[in-house]
Amino acid sequence: MRDVAIIGAGMIPFGRRDEDTLMDMLAYASLKALDDAGLGDKSVDAVYVGNMGGGMLQRQTAIASSLVDRLNLMPAAAETVENGPASGGSAVKNGLLAVASGYYDYVLVVGGEKMREVTGWRATDFVATMTHPQAEYPYGITLPGMAGMFTRLYMEKYGVTREHLLAISLKNQEMGTLNPYAHVEMALDRGGIFDSPHAIVNNPTSADPLHLYDLCPVSDGAAALILCPLEMAKKLAKPPILIAGFGQATDTQTLQERDDPTDLKAVTLAAQKAFEMAKLKPGDIHVAELHDAFTILEIAESEHVGFFKKGEGGKAAAAGKTRLGGQMPINISGGLKARGHPVGATGVAQVVDIVFQLRHELPKNRQVQKAENGLTVNFGGFGNNVLAFVLRRVQS
Amino acid sequence: MKKEIAITAYKCKKCGKLHYPYHDRCLACKSREFEQIKPQGNAKLLTYTAIFNLPWGFDQRFLILGVAEFENKIKAMGQIKADSVDQLKVGMKMKPSWEPIRVQYGEDVYGLKFEPME
Repeated sequence: MRDVAIIGAGMIPFGRRDEDTLMDMLAYASLKALDDAGLGDKSVDAVYVGNMGGGMLQRQTAIASSLVDRLNLMPAAAETVENGPASGGSAVKNGLLAVASGYYDYVLVVGGEKMREVTGWRATDFVATMTHPQAEYPYGITLPGMAGMFTRLYMEKYGVTREHLLAISLKNQEMGTLNPYAHVEMALDRGGIFDSPHAIVNNPTSADPLHLYDLCPVSDGAAALILCPLEMAKKLAKPPILIAGFGQATDTQTLQERDDPTDLKAVTLAAQKAFEMAKLKPGDIHVAELHDAFTILEIAESEHVGFFKKGEGGKAAAAGKTRLGGQMPINISGGLKARGHPVGATGVAQVVDIVFQLRHELPKNRQVQKAENGLTVNFGGFGNNVLAFVLRRVQS
Repeated sequence: MKKEIAITAYKCKKCGKLHYPYHDRCLACKSREFEQIKPQGNAKLLTYTAIFNLPWGFDQRFLILGVAEFENKIKAMGQIKADSVDQLKVGMKMKPSWEPIRVQYGEDVYGLKFEPME
């Protein structure tokens, strides 16, 4: 197996992009990654596109085939990868394995989703189609609803409070104001959403006990990467970022069939595999992008990957330990909570954000100083298909 | 007329593990032979939520959902007949029923509902 490096990374601003089609967004992000890699008008050997909803929302299938045509990347091999909200992470994994195996040298990985062209009613239903088709979906369950039930159990078992959840909302939306690619560029006021008489109006219950600002927005967006063998990457101008570790694990589709529904086993296993491959420990990570589709998930994942003991993640966030400059900076991009969550794009965008961090090319107010190792966690379904990547800056 | 609760759980004939919904191989021992089991008695509420942003197909202001465990240990999701989550607490006894849970293509779709008994 060859070591695989990321030599190009690009993203377009997430948000509501009425002017762009899904294909426009995938093309723009891909071109940014190709230019970032300095590939100019060269081609790639293969293209992997992470997308969950093109077939349902845009009535467009065979999206990767369309993208190579749009970008004139023919005759590159091309596939669309659908794995729910982990589609982006799965596309990165496919690119990684293809280059590591020695079959392809240059691979474009791009993730994108266009969710805002349908009503919130339709978008909520689209995302809910990943739940169990007989035991869950017909009842009207939504992903926020799953998160609400999970939060209630997590609060009861580990003493997580709304104050802990609030710390995630405040931190991530504050960081979103500094990220030019973020969907939500609005800092939150504690009084406005938590402890004033107006809070219940500004921040109503969305999926009890979660409130509006515990949830990520529904977004359009795309992000892209160029991968190649590390040996070939060393000849390029920008510091290559090694994909040092990768892990993926699955779990039961319904929460009720897990021995302990608060135990996100797939997160733990995916992270363990990634750390093992990278020969690193959680304490060696300098910056992480975790899948905070709901504030509770940033807390739970920070514990399940090993940054904090069970029951300590919420307290750590409230104590500022996960802020920029803290013990373990998490979601400095603003996370899904502020950068947004175009489902097929997210797993790729997380890696793009860590690449920016490890290249040390972000402005001071977002850069984790001397960051050498980063972690991403892309959480599919309700924790039933999870991918983790450990990235490492290669010393020149 | 009261309808029978039309869900079926599957008890592994080899190790006894109970499954709902169906799996082709036992989640504990990977055996492929199961005995069909019907939920029995009342249920205990394990967790719940009220959702206010409903999916397409639900034309109502909010929906309360939960997971409950029947007396013979089958666990299942259902809609909860309550006006507010303030009427609920984890561990409370629920009366199950099989009722319309949504309308699709003009037809009622039936499913589990739970009603607080306390």
